[in-house]
Amino acid sequence: MGPRWKGKGADAKALADPMSEIVSQLQSSLLQSNALGSLSGCSVLLAVETEQTELLTRACFGKPIITAEKDKQWFQLGLEEAFYLCNSLKCLKIVGEDNFVKNDLDLWLHMKSKKDNFPDFYKAYSHLRMKNWVLRPGLQYGVDFVAYRHHPSLVHSEYAVIVLSEGDVGRLRVWADFHCTIRLCGSVAKTLLVLHVDKNGHGAICPSCLESYSVEECTIMRWSPEHSRNDQTASENGIT
Amino acid sequence: MEAEDDWESSSGEVTDTDQFNDEDIYSTSTSLSKLQFRSDASKAKWNGEMGMAEVIEKKGKMWITTGIVRNGKTFCLIEETLFLAEIGALLVMDENDECLSLKDIYRKIAEEKSGCCWELFEVYRHLKSLGYIVGRHGVPWSMKGVENNSESCSSQGTIQKNGVVDTEVNGMTCVVQMLGNLQVDELRLNFNVYLPNSKFRKSSPGDPAFLLCLVRGSPPSITKSAALERQCGGIPLKFCHVEHGRVTSAADKRMPSITELCTGLCIPWLRDLRLLCKSFSTQKSFDSVLSLFPCREDKPQLERIQPKILLAS
Repeated sequence: MGPRWKGKGADAKALADPMSEIVSQLQSSLLQSNALGSLSGCSVLLAVETEQTELLTRACFGKPIITAEKDKQWFQLGLEEAFYLCNSLKCLKIVGEDNFVKNDLDLWLHMKSKKDNFPDFYKAYSHLRMKNWVLRPGLQYGVDFVAYRHHPSLVHSEYAVIVLSEGDVGRLRVWADFHCTIRLCGSVAKTLLVLHVDKNGHGAICPSCLESYSVEECTIMRWSPEHSRNDQTASENGIT
Repeated sequence: MEAEDDWESSSGEVTDTDQFNDEDIYSTSTSLSKLQFRSDASKAKWNGEMGMAEVIEKKGKMWITTGIVRNGKTFCLIEETLFLAEIGALLVMDENDECLSLKDIYRKIAEEKSGCCWELFEVYRHLKSLGYIVGRHGVPWSMKGVENNSESCSSQGTIQKNGVVDTEVNGMTCVVQMLGNLQVDELRLNFNVYLPNSKFRKSSPGDPAFLLCLVRGSPPSITKSAALERQCGGIPLKFCHVEHGRVTSAADKRMPSITELCTGLCIPWLRDLRLLCKSFSTQKSFDSVLSLFPCREDKPQLERIQPKILLAS
Protein backbone atom coordinates (compact mmCIF):
# COMPACT_ATOMS: atom_id res chain seq x y z
CA MET A 1 0.00 0.00 0.00
CA GLY A 2 1.62 3.22 -1.10
CA PRO A 3 1.12 6.61 0.50
CA ARG A 4 -2.37 8.04 0.16
CA TRP A 5 -2.02 11.76 -0.30
CA LYS A 6 -4.90 14.05 0.52
CA GLY A 7 -5.92 16.25 -2.35
CA LYS A 8 -4.14 17.40 -5.45
CA GLY A 9 -0.60 18.55 -5.12
CA ALA A 10 -0.22 17.24 -1.61
CA ASP A 11 2.72 15.06 -2.56
CA ALA A 12 4.40 17.95 -4.33
CA LYS A 13 3.88 20.11 -1.29
CA ALA A 14 5.43 17.46 0.89
CA LEU A 15 8.38 17.08 -1.44
CA ALA A 16 8.99 20.80 -1.42
CA ASP A 17 8.83 20.97 2.34
CA PRO A 18 10.58 17.92 3.76
CA MET A 19 9.81 16.92 7.33
CA SER A 20 13.49 16.78 8.19
CA GLU A 21 13.76 20.49 7.39
CA ILE A 22 10.74 21.36 9.49
CA VAL A 23 12.02 19.42 12.46
CA SER A 24 15.40 21.06 12.08
CA GLN A 25 13.82 24.51 12.09
CA LEU A 26 11.80 23.59 15.15
CA GLN A 27 14.95 22.40 16.85
CA SER A 28 16.81 25.66 16.32
CA SER A 29 13.83 27.78 17.25
CA LEU A 30 13.28 25.97 20.53
CA LEU A 31 16.97 26.06 21.30
CA GLN A 32 17.21 29.77 20.67
CA SER A 33 14.32 30.58 22.93
CA ASN A 34 15.54 28.31 25.75
CA ALA A 35 12.26 26.46 25.67
CA LEU A 36 11.22 25.02 29.00
CA GLY A 37 8.59 22.36 29.43
CA SER A 38 7.05 21.25 32.71
CA LEU A 39 6.10 17.74 33.70
CA SER A 40 2.50 17.13 34.70
CA GLY A 41 1.24 13.60 35.15
CA CYS A 42 2.09 11.76 31.94
CA SER A 43 2.44 14.89 29.87
CA VAL A 44 4.81 17.78 29.45
CA LEU A 45 3.28 21.23 29.15
CA LEU A 46 5.00 23.85 27.06
CA ALA A 47 4.16 27.48 26.43
CA VAL A 48 5.46 28.88 23.14
CA GLU A 49 5.27 31.96 20.94
CA THR A 50 3.60 32.15 17.54
CA GLU A 51 6.60 31.10 15.47
CA GLN A 52 7.08 27.95 17.50
CA THR A 53 3.37 27.22 17.54
CA GLU A 54 3.55 27.01 13.80
CA LEU A 55 6.67 24.85 13.81
CA LEU A 56 5.34 22.46 16.45
CA THR A 57 2.18 22.14 14.41
CA ARG A 58 3.99 21.55 11.14
CA ALA A 59 6.34 19.04 12.71
CA CYS A 60 3.49 17.36 14.57
CA PHE A 61 4.74 17.45 18.07
CA GLY A 62 2.21 17.67 20.82
CA LYS A 63 -1.32 18.83 20.91
CA PRO A 64 -2.36 22.44 21.40
CA ILE A 65 -4.30 23.30 24.55
CA ILE A 66 -7.00 25.84 23.91
CA THR A 67 -6.84 28.56 26.51
CA ALA A 68 -7.81 32.18 26.78
CA GLU A 69 -4.19 33.31 27.08
CA LYS A 70 -3.43 35.57 24.16
CA ASP A 71 0.29 36.07 24.23
CA LYS A 72 1.33 32.46 24.31
CA GLN A 73 0.12 29.12 23.09
CA TRP A 74 0.20 26.06 25.35
CA PHE A 75 1.07 22.64 24.02
CA GLN A 76 0.80 19.25 25.62
CA LEU A 77 3.53 16.80 24.70
CA GLY A 78 3.49 13.05 25.24
CA LEU A 79 6.34 11.42 27.12
CA GLU A 80 8.06 10.11 24.00
CA GLU A 81 7.71 13.40 22.16
CA ALA A 82 9.06 15.40 25.06
CA PHE A 83 11.96 13.04 25.60
CA TYR A 84 12.78 13.14 21.91
CA LEU A 85 12.94 16.92 21.91
CA CYS A 86 14.94 16.90 25.11
CA ASN A 87 17.29 13.96 24.68
CA SER A 88 17.63 13.41 20.93
CA LEU A 89 17.20 16.88 19.51
CA LYS A 90 18.46 18.51 22.67
CA CYS A 91 16.33 21.60 22.17
CA LEU A 92 14.06 21.41 25.19
CA LYS A 93 14.66 21.50 28.90
CA ILE A 94 12.10 20.01 31.22
CA VAL A 95 11.36 20.88 34.84
CA GLY A 96 9.67 18.68 37.39
CA GLU A 97 7.00 19.60 39.91
CA ASP A 98 9.71 21.18 42.01
CA ASN A 99 10.47 23.61 39.21
CA PHE A 100 14.05 22.41 38.83
CA VAL A 101 15.38 21.31 35.45
CA LYS A 102 15.63 17.55 35.30
CA ASN A 103 18.81 16.04 33.92
CA ASP A 104 18.55 13.23 31.37
CA LEU A 105 18.78 10.47 33.93
CA ASP A 106 16.16 11.92 36.26
CA LEU A 107 13.86 12.54 33.38
CA TRP A 108 14.35 9.00 32.14
CA LEU A 109 13.60 7.56 35.57
CA HIS A 110 10.56 9.77 35.96
CA MET A 111 9.14 8.72 32.62
CA LYS A 112 9.82 5.08 33.32
CA SER A 113 7.89 5.44 36.55
CA LYS A 114 4.91 6.80 34.64
CA LYS A 115 5.04 4.19 31.92
CA ASP A 116 6.55 0.75 32.40
CA ASN A 117 7.42 0.14 28.80
CA PHE A 118 8.67 3.65 28.17
CA PRO A 119 12.20 2.54 27.13
CA ASP A 120 10.89 0.26 24.37
CA PHE A 121 8.27 2.73 23.26
CA TYR A 122 10.77 5.51 23.16
CA LYS A 123 13.25 3.45 21.18
CA ALA A 124 10.54 2.68 18.64
CA TYR A 125 9.41 6.29 18.54
CA SER A 126 12.85 7.73 18.04
CA HIS A 127 13.72 5.01 15.53
CA LEU A 128 10.92 6.10 13.22
CA ARG A 129 11.14 9.82 13.94
CA MET A 130 14.78 9.85 12.99
CA LYS A 131 13.75 8.41 9.65
CA ASN A 132 11.44 11.42 9.30
CA TRP A 133 8.19 9.60 9.86
CA VAL A 134 5.59 11.52 11.78
CA LEU A 135 4.29 9.51 14.71
CA ARG A 136 1.03 10.14 16.43
CA PRO A 137 -0.74 8.17 19.16
CA GLY A 138 -2.45 5.07 17.82
CA LEU A 139 -4.86 4.36 20.63
CA GLN A 140 -7.82 5.13 18.42
CA TYR A 141 -6.84 2.29 16.15
CA GLY A 142 -5.95 -0.13 18.86
CA VAL A 143 -2.24 0.19 18.22
CA ASP A 144 0.61 2.10 19.81
CA PHE A 145 1.37 4.64 17.10
CA VAL A 146 0.32 5.56 13.62
CA ALA A 147 3.01 6.63 11.21
CA TYR A 148 2.58 9.32 8.58
CA ARG A 149 4.92 9.94 5.72
CA HIS A 150 4.47 13.69 6.21
CA HIS A 151 2.01 16.00 7.94
CA PRO A 152 -1.39 14.41 8.67
CA SER A 153 -3.11 17.15 6.72
CA LEU A 154 -1.30 16.08 3.56
CA VAL A 155 -1.31 12.33 3.80
CA HIS A 156 -3.13 9.47 5.46
CA SER A 157 -1.13 7.43 7.88
CA GLU A 158 0.30 4.35 6.27
CA TYR A 159 1.38 2.27 9.17
CA ALA A 160 -0.26 1.19 12.37
CA VAL A 161 2.62 0.49 14.71
CA ILE A 162 2.75 -1.97 17.55
CA VAL A 163 5.80 -2.06 19.77
CA LEU A 164 6.86 -5.42 21.08
CA SER A 165 9.51 -5.86 23.69
CA GLU A 166 11.57 -9.02 23.86
CA GLY A 167 9.79 -11.63 25.85
CA ASP A 168 6.55 -9.70 25.63
CA VAL A 169 3.76 -12.25 25.69
CA GLY A 170 0.87 -9.89 26.21
CA ARG A 171 0.52 -8.48 22.72
CA LEU A 172 -0.28 -10.39 19.53
CA ARG A 173 -0.27 -13.50 21.57
CA VAL A 174 -2.68 -15.73 19.68
CA TRP A 175 -3.84 -15.83 16.07
CA ALA A 176 -7.05 -14.09 16.98
CA ASP A 177 -4.99 -11.08 18.05
CA PHE A 178 -3.29 -10.94 14.67
CA HIS A 179 -6.52 -11.31 12.78
CA CYS A 180 -8.20 -8.69 14.90
CA THR A 181 -5.43 -6.18 14.40
CA ILE A 182 -5.00 -6.88 10.72
CA ARG A 183 -8.69 -6.64 10.06
CA LEU A 184 -8.83 -3.30 11.80
CA CYS A 185 -5.77 -2.06 9.93
CA GLY A 186 -7.35 -3.15 6.69
CA SER A 187 -10.56 -1.30 7.30
CA VAL A 188 -8.69 1.88 8.06
CA ALA A 189 -6.28 1.37 5.18
CA LYS A 190 -3.11 0.94 7.15
CA THR A 191 -0.43 -1.70 7.19
CA LEU A 192 0.46 -3.28 10.47
CA LEU A 193 4.04 -2.57 11.38
CA VAL A 194 5.45 -4.44 14.30
CA LEU A 195 8.60 -3.09 15.84
CA HIS A 196 10.52 -5.59 17.91
CA VAL A 197 12.73 -3.79 20.35
CA ASP A 198 15.55 -5.85 21.73
CA LYS A 199 17.44 -4.47 24.65
CA ASN A 200 20.32 -6.83 23.92
CA GLY A 201 20.82 -7.41 27.60
CA HIS A 202 21.40 -3.79 28.43
CA GLY A 203 18.46 -3.20 30.71
CA ALA A 204 17.03 0.26 31.09
CA ILE A 205 18.79 1.99 33.92
CA CYS A 206 19.83 5.03 31.96
CA PRO A 207 19.14 6.71 28.62
CA SER A 208 22.47 5.65 27.17
CA CYS A 209 21.23 2.05 27.25
CA LEU A 210 19.07 3.04 24.31
CA GLU A 211 22.06 3.14 22.03
CA SER A 212 22.51 -0.58 22.44
CA TYR A 213 18.93 -1.47 21.69
CA SER A 214 18.05 -2.80 18.27
CA VAL A 215 14.78 -2.45 16.42
CA GLU A 216 13.51 -4.97 13.94
CA GLU A 217 10.75 -3.84 11.62
CA CYS A 218 8.19 -6.25 10.39
CA THR A 219 5.12 -5.48 8.31
CA ILE A 220 2.32 -7.98 8.54
CA MET A 221 -0.41 -8.20 5.99
CA ARG A 222 -3.02 -10.67 5.01
CA TRP A 223 -2.39 -12.48 1.80
CA SER A 224 -5.30 -13.94 -0.07
CA PRO A 225 -4.28 -16.67 -2.47
CA GLU A 226 -7.53 -16.31 -4.41
CA HIS A 227 -6.61 -12.87 -5.59
CA SER A 228 -2.98 -13.38 -6.28
CA ARG A 229 -3.12 -16.04 -8.94
CA ASN A 230 -3.59 -13.91 -12.02
CA ASP A 231 -2.26 -10.56 -11.15
CA GLN A 232 1.53 -10.53 -10.92
CA THR A 233 1.51 -6.93 -9.80
CA ALA A 234 -0.72 -7.58 -6.82
CA SER A 235 1.24 -6.54 -3.75
CA GLU A 236 3.55 -9.18 -2.47
CA ASN A 237 1.69 -9.58 0.75
CA GLY A 238 2.63 -12.12 3.29
CA ILE A 239 4.39 -12.46 6.55
CA THR A 240 7.69 -10.77 5.89
CA MET B 1 -17.01 -19.59 2.19
CA GLU B 2 -18.82 -17.21 4.48
CA ALA B 3 -15.85 -16.32 6.58
CA GLU B 4 -13.86 -15.39 3.52
CA ASP B 5 -16.66 -13.19 2.27
CA ASP B 6 -16.60 -11.34 5.53
CA TRP B 7 -12.95 -10.59 5.15
CA GLU B 8 -13.33 -9.43 1.60
CA SER B 9 -16.19 -7.12 2.23
CA SER B 10 -14.52 -5.48 5.17
CA SER B 11 -11.17 -4.98 3.56
CA GLY B 12 -12.87 -3.03 0.82
CA GLU B 13 -14.05 -0.36 3.22
CA VAL B 14 -11.90 2.55 3.99
CA THR B 15 -13.41 4.17 6.97
CA ASP B 16 -10.33 5.87 8.27
CA THR B 17 -10.51 9.56 7.66
CA ASP B 18 -13.99 10.31 8.80
CA GLN B 19 -13.60 8.55 12.05
CA PHE B 20 -10.34 9.61 13.57
CA ASN B 21 -9.06 12.66 11.88
CA ASP B 22 -5.83 13.73 13.43
CA GLU B 23 -5.41 16.75 11.27
CA ASP B 24 -8.25 18.57 12.94
CA ILE B 25 -5.85 19.42 15.71
CA TYR B 26 -3.61 21.12 13.24
CA SER B 27 -6.20 23.01 11.28
CA THR B 28 -7.60 24.82 14.25
CA SER B 29 -5.08 27.61 14.27
CA THR B 30 -7.82 30.18 13.95
CA SER B 31 -9.97 28.69 16.64
CA LEU B 32 -7.06 28.67 19.05
CA SER B 33 -7.34 32.40 19.35
CA LYS B 34 -11.10 32.43 19.62
CA LEU B 35 -11.24 32.22 23.37
CA GLN B 36 -10.88 35.61 24.93
CA PHE B 37 -10.64 36.57 28.52
CA ARG B 38 -14.12 37.63 29.38
CA SER B 39 -14.37 41.12 30.73
CA ASP B 40 -16.87 39.79 33.18
CA ALA B 41 -14.63 37.14 34.67
CA SER B 42 -15.29 35.95 38.20
CA LYS B 43 -12.58 36.31 40.81
CA ALA B 44 -11.23 33.84 43.31
CA LYS B 45 -8.43 33.67 45.82
CA TRP B 46 -6.29 30.57 46.06
CA ASN B 47 -5.79 29.05 49.48
CA GLY B 48 -2.77 26.79 49.44
CA GLU B 49 -3.52 25.14 52.75
CA MET B 50 -6.98 24.04 51.70
CA GLY B 51 -5.97 23.33 48.14
CA MET B 52 -8.97 25.30 46.90
CA ALA B 53 -9.83 28.77 45.68
CA GLU B 54 -12.37 30.86 47.54
CA VAL B 55 -14.68 32.65 45.14
CA ILE B 56 -14.77 36.37 45.84
CA GLU B 57 -16.80 37.64 42.91
CA LYS B 58 -19.25 35.55 40.95
CA LYS B 59 -20.22 36.32 37.38
CA GLY B 60 -22.30 34.15 35.14
CA LYS B 61 -24.52 31.13 35.51
CA MET B 62 -21.76 28.58 35.71
CA TRP B 63 -21.79 28.79 39.50
CA ILE B 64 -24.98 26.76 39.58
CA THR B 65 -22.92 23.75 38.60
CA THR B 66 -19.42 24.65 39.73
CA GLY B 67 -17.87 25.08 43.12
CA ILE B 68 -18.77 23.72 46.52
CA VAL B 69 -20.57 25.68 49.21
CA ARG B 70 -19.28 25.80 52.76
CA ASN B 71 -20.35 28.26 55.43
CA GLY B 72 -22.12 30.35 52.86
CA LYS B 73 -18.99 30.72 50.74
CA THR B 74 -18.19 29.08 47.44
CA PHE B 75 -14.93 27.26 46.89
CA CYS B 76 -13.41 25.85 43.71
CA LEU B 77 -11.45 22.66 43.69
CA ILE B 78 -8.32 22.82 41.61
CA GLU B 79 -9.83 21.17 38.57
CA GLU B 80 -12.71 23.65 38.64
CA THR B 81 -10.31 26.53 39.13
CA LEU B 82 -8.10 25.51 36.25
CA PHE B 83 -11.01 24.79 33.94
CA LEU B 84 -12.49 28.21 34.48
CA ALA B 85 -9.11 29.93 34.30
CA GLU B 86 -8.31 28.20 31.01
CA ILE B 87 -11.44 29.53 29.38
CA GLY B 88 -10.91 32.97 30.79
CA ALA B 89 -13.93 32.88 33.10
CA LEU B 90 -12.00 33.14 36.35
CA LEU B 91 -9.21 35.37 37.59
CA VAL B 92 -7.27 33.68 40.35
CA MET B 93 -5.26 35.57 42.96
CA ASP B 94 -2.77 34.16 45.36
CA GLU B 95 -2.64 34.87 49.08
CA ASN B 96 -0.91 38.21 48.40
CA ASP B 97 -3.54 39.30 45.89
CA GLU B 98 -1.15 38.77 43.01
CA CYS B 99 -2.68 37.39 39.86
CA LEU B 100 -1.89 33.74 39.23
CA SER B 101 -1.07 32.91 35.65
CA LEU B 102 -2.15 29.74 33.89
CA LYS B 103 1.40 28.58 34.24
CA ASP B 104 1.14 28.88 38.02
CA ILE B 105 -2.07 26.91 38.11
CA TYR B 106 -0.67 24.25 35.80
CA ARG B 107 2.20 23.94 38.24
CA LYS B 108 -0.21 23.42 41.13
CA ILE B 109 -1.87 20.58 39.28
CA ALA B 110 1.51 19.06 38.51
CA GLU B 111 2.32 19.02 42.22
CA GLU B 112 -0.65 16.71 42.74
CA LYS B 113 -1.19 18.03 46.25
CA SER B 114 -4.79 19.11 45.82
CA GLY B 115 -6.35 15.75 45.09
CA CYS B 116 -6.06 16.02 41.35
CA CYS B 117 -3.57 15.20 38.64
CA TRP B 118 -3.21 16.30 35.04
CA GLU B 119 -5.05 13.29 33.63
CA LEU B 120 -7.95 13.74 36.05
CA PHE B 121 -8.12 17.35 35.02
CA GLU B 122 -8.28 16.33 31.37
CA VAL B 123 -11.23 14.09 32.15
CA TYR B 124 -12.89 16.87 34.10
CA ARG B 125 -12.34 19.37 31.33
CA HIS B 126 -13.60 16.98 28.66
CA LEU B 127 -16.83 16.22 30.49
CA LYS B 128 -17.45 19.81 31.55
CA SER B 129 -16.95 20.98 27.99
CA LEU B 130 -19.60 18.51 26.93
CA GLY B 131 -22.03 19.98 29.45
CA TYR B 132 -21.91 17.36 32.16
CA ILE B 133 -21.93 18.45 35.78
CA VAL B 134 -18.88 17.03 37.48
CA GLY B 135 -18.21 16.86 41.17
CA ARG B 136 -15.37 15.28 43.02
CA HIS B 137 -16.47 12.05 44.63
CA GLY B 138 -16.79 12.24 48.37
CA VAL B 139 -17.02 16.02 48.42
CA PRO B 140 -20.62 17.15 48.89
CA TRP B 141 -21.72 20.13 46.81
CA SER B 142 -23.16 21.73 49.89
CA MET B 143 -23.44 20.78 53.51
CA LYS B 144 -27.11 21.71 53.51
CA GLY B 145 -27.93 18.58 51.62
CA VAL B 146 -25.79 16.27 53.71
CA GLU B 147 -28.25 15.68 56.54
CA ASN B 148 -30.95 15.00 54.00
CA ASN B 149 -29.26 12.58 51.64
CA SER B 150 -27.14 9.57 52.28
CA GLU B 151 -24.01 10.74 50.55
CA SER B 152 -21.25 11.42 53.00
CA CYS B 153 -17.53 11.57 52.92
CA SER B 154 -17.12 8.15 54.36
CA SER B 155 -16.79 6.23 51.14
CA GLN B 156 -13.11 6.84 50.97
CA GLY B 157 -12.11 8.84 53.99
CA THR B 158 -12.69 8.14 57.61
CA ILE B 159 -14.96 11.06 58.36
CA GLN B 160 -18.21 10.05 59.94
CA LYS B 161 -21.27 12.20 59.85
CA ASN B 162 -21.73 13.80 63.23
CA GLY B 163 -24.58 15.83 64.61
CA VAL B 164 -25.91 18.92 62.90
CA VAL B 165 -23.75 21.32 64.88
CA ASP B 166 -20.54 19.78 63.55
CA THR B 167 -21.71 19.26 59.98
CA GLU B 168 -20.16 22.37 58.52
CA VAL B 169 -16.85 21.85 60.25
CA ASN B 170 -16.89 18.26 59.06
CA GLY B 171 -17.50 19.37 55.52
CA MET B 172 -14.33 21.42 55.48
CA THR B 173 -12.18 18.75 57.07
CA CYS B 174 -13.68 16.22 54.75
CA VAL B 175 -12.56 18.17 51.73
CA VAL B 176 -9.05 18.63 53.04
CA GLN B 177 -8.71 14.92 53.75
CA MET B 178 -9.65 14.08 50.20
CA LEU B 179 -6.79 16.11 48.90
CA GLY B 180 -4.12 13.53 49.42
CA ASN B 181 -1.57 12.14 47.02
CA LEU B 182 -2.92 9.92 44.31
CA GLN B 183 -1.41 6.50 44.00
CA VAL B 184 -1.00 5.24 40.47
CA ASP B 185 -2.27 1.72 40.94
CA GLU B 186 -4.95 2.50 43.41
CA LEU B 187 -8.43 2.42 41.97
CA ARG B 188 -10.73 4.92 43.51
CA LEU B 189 -13.91 6.72 42.68
CA ASN B 190 -12.86 10.08 41.32
CA PHE B 191 -15.90 11.94 40.04
CA ASN B 192 -19.66 12.04 40.39
CA VAL B 193 -21.07 12.94 37.01
CA TYR B 194 -24.54 14.37 36.44
CA LEU B 195 -26.28 14.92 33.14
CA PRO B 196 -26.54 18.51 31.94
CA ASN B 197 -29.25 20.17 33.99
CA SER B 198 -30.05 23.84 34.21
CA LYS B 199 -32.11 23.19 37.32
CA PHE B 200 -29.26 21.57 39.19
CA ARG B 201 -29.26 22.40 42.87
CA LYS B 202 -26.23 21.90 45.01
CA SER B 203 -28.37 21.43 48.11
CA SER B 204 -30.11 18.46 46.55
CA PRO B 205 -28.17 17.23 43.56
CA GLY B 206 -29.78 13.80 43.58
CA ASP B 207 -27.91 10.73 42.45
CA PRO B 208 -25.28 11.19 39.77
CA ALA B 209 -25.86 9.61 36.38
CA PHE B 210 -22.63 7.71 36.86
CA LEU B 211 -19.46 7.56 38.88
CA LEU B 212 -16.10 7.74 37.24
CA CYS B 213 -12.83 6.06 38.04
CA LEU B 214 -9.64 7.04 36.28
CA VAL B 215 -7.28 4.20 35.52
CA ARG B 216 -3.74 5.43 35.35
CA GLY B 217 -1.86 2.21 34.85
CA SER B 218 -2.92 -1.04 33.24
CA PRO B 219 -6.58 -1.96 32.87
CA PRO B 220 -8.10 -3.10 36.17
CA SER B 221 -8.63 -6.74 36.98
CA ILE B 222 -12.15 -8.06 37.37
CA THR B 223 -11.68 -8.43 41.11
CA LYS B 224 -10.60 -4.86 41.62
CA SER B 225 -13.24 -3.41 39.37
CA ALA B 226 -15.94 -5.50 40.99
CA ALA B 227 -14.77 -4.38 44.42
CA LEU B 228 -14.97 -0.77 43.35
CA GLU B 229 -18.36 -1.32 41.83
CA ARG B 230 -19.66 -2.53 45.16
CA GLN B 231 -18.82 0.85 46.65
CA CYS B 232 -21.07 2.60 44.22
CA GLY B 233 -24.36 2.01 45.93
CA GLY B 234 -26.17 1.02 42.78
CA ILE B 235 -24.97 3.94 40.69
CA PRO B 236 -23.37 2.98 37.35
CA LEU B 237 -19.60 3.04 37.32
CA LYS B 238 -17.43 3.95 34.38
CA PHE B 239 -13.72 3.48 34.09
CA CYS B 240 -11.71 5.83 32.00
CA HIS B 241 -8.20 6.11 30.74
CA VAL B 242 -6.45 9.10 29.31
CA GLU B 243 -3.61 8.83 26.89
CA HIS B 244 -1.98 11.62 24.95
CA GLY B 245 -4.82 13.84 26.02
CA ARG B 246 -6.78 13.91 22.82
CA VAL B 247 -10.18 15.42 23.27
CA THR B 248 -12.63 15.25 20.45
CA SER B 249 -15.31 17.83 19.89
CA ALA B 250 -18.71 17.41 21.46
CA ALA B 251 -20.62 18.18 18.29
CA ASP B 252 -19.80 15.19 16.17
CA LYS B 253 -19.86 12.48 18.86
CA ARG B 254 -16.71 10.69 17.84
CA MET B 255 -15.23 8.03 20.02
CA PRO B 256 -13.23 10.04 22.52
CA SER B 257 -9.73 9.20 23.52
CA ILE B 258 -10.98 8.65 27.02
CA THR B 259 -11.68 5.01 26.66
CA GLU B 260 -14.74 3.65 28.30
CA LEU B 261 -14.65 0.14 29.63
CA CYS B 262 -17.83 -1.70 30.24
CA THR B 263 -18.43 -2.15 33.89
CA GLY B 264 -16.50 -5.10 35.13
CA LEU B 265 -15.02 -5.92 31.74
CA CYS B 266 -11.52 -7.24 31.92
CA ILE B 267 -9.34 -7.31 28.87
CA PRO B 268 -5.60 -7.72 29.33
CA TRP B 269 -4.78 -4.65 27.32
CA LEU B 270 -6.89 -1.57 26.71
CA ARG B 271 -5.78 -1.62 23.13
CA ASP B 272 -7.23 -5.06 22.69
CA LEU B 273 -10.59 -3.70 23.70
CA ARG B 274 -10.32 -1.02 21.07
CA LEU B 275 -9.23 -3.57 18.51
CA LEU B 276 -12.00 -5.89 19.42
CA CYS B 277 -14.62 -3.24 19.17
CA LYS B 278 -13.29 -1.62 16.06
CA SER B 279 -13.03 -4.91 14.25
CA PHE B 280 -16.76 -4.71 14.09
CA SER B 281 -17.07 -2.16 11.42
CA THR B 282 -20.19 -0.39 12.50
CA GLN B 283 -21.30 1.39 15.61
CA LYS B 284 -24.30 -0.90 15.69
CA SER B 285 -22.13 -3.96 15.98
CA PHE B 286 -20.13 -2.25 18.66
CA ASP B 287 -23.29 -1.55 20.61
CA SER B 288 -24.38 -5.10 20.24
CA VAL B 289 -21.06 -6.26 21.64
CA LEU B 290 -21.60 -4.11 24.68
CA SER B 291 -25.11 -5.39 25.07
CA LEU B 292 -23.81 -8.91 25.35
CA PHE B 293 -22.65 -7.94 28.78
CA PRO B 294 -25.62 -8.11 31.05
CA CYS B 295 -26.41 -5.05 33.05
CA ARG B 296 -24.94 -4.66 36.48
CA GLU B 297 -27.90 -5.95 38.40
CA ASP B 298 -27.38 -9.44 37.04
CA LYS B 299 -23.92 -9.74 38.54
CA PRO B 300 -22.62 -11.85 35.67
CA GLN B 301 -19.96 -14.47 35.77
CA LEU B 302 -17.69 -12.47 33.56
CA GLU B 303 -15.07 -15.12 33.10
CA ARG B 304 -17.53 -17.31 31.28
CA ILE B 305 -19.01 -14.57 29.20
CA GLN B 306 -15.82 -13.13 27.87
CA PRO B 307 -14.91 -16.04 25.54
CA LYS B 308 -18.35 -15.70 23.98
CA ILE B 309 -17.50 -12.20 22.86
CA LEU B 310 -14.31 -13.22 21.15
CA LEU B 311 -16.12 -15.79 19.08
CA ALA B 312 -19.03 -13.56 18.24
CA SER B 313 -17.61 -12.21 15.01
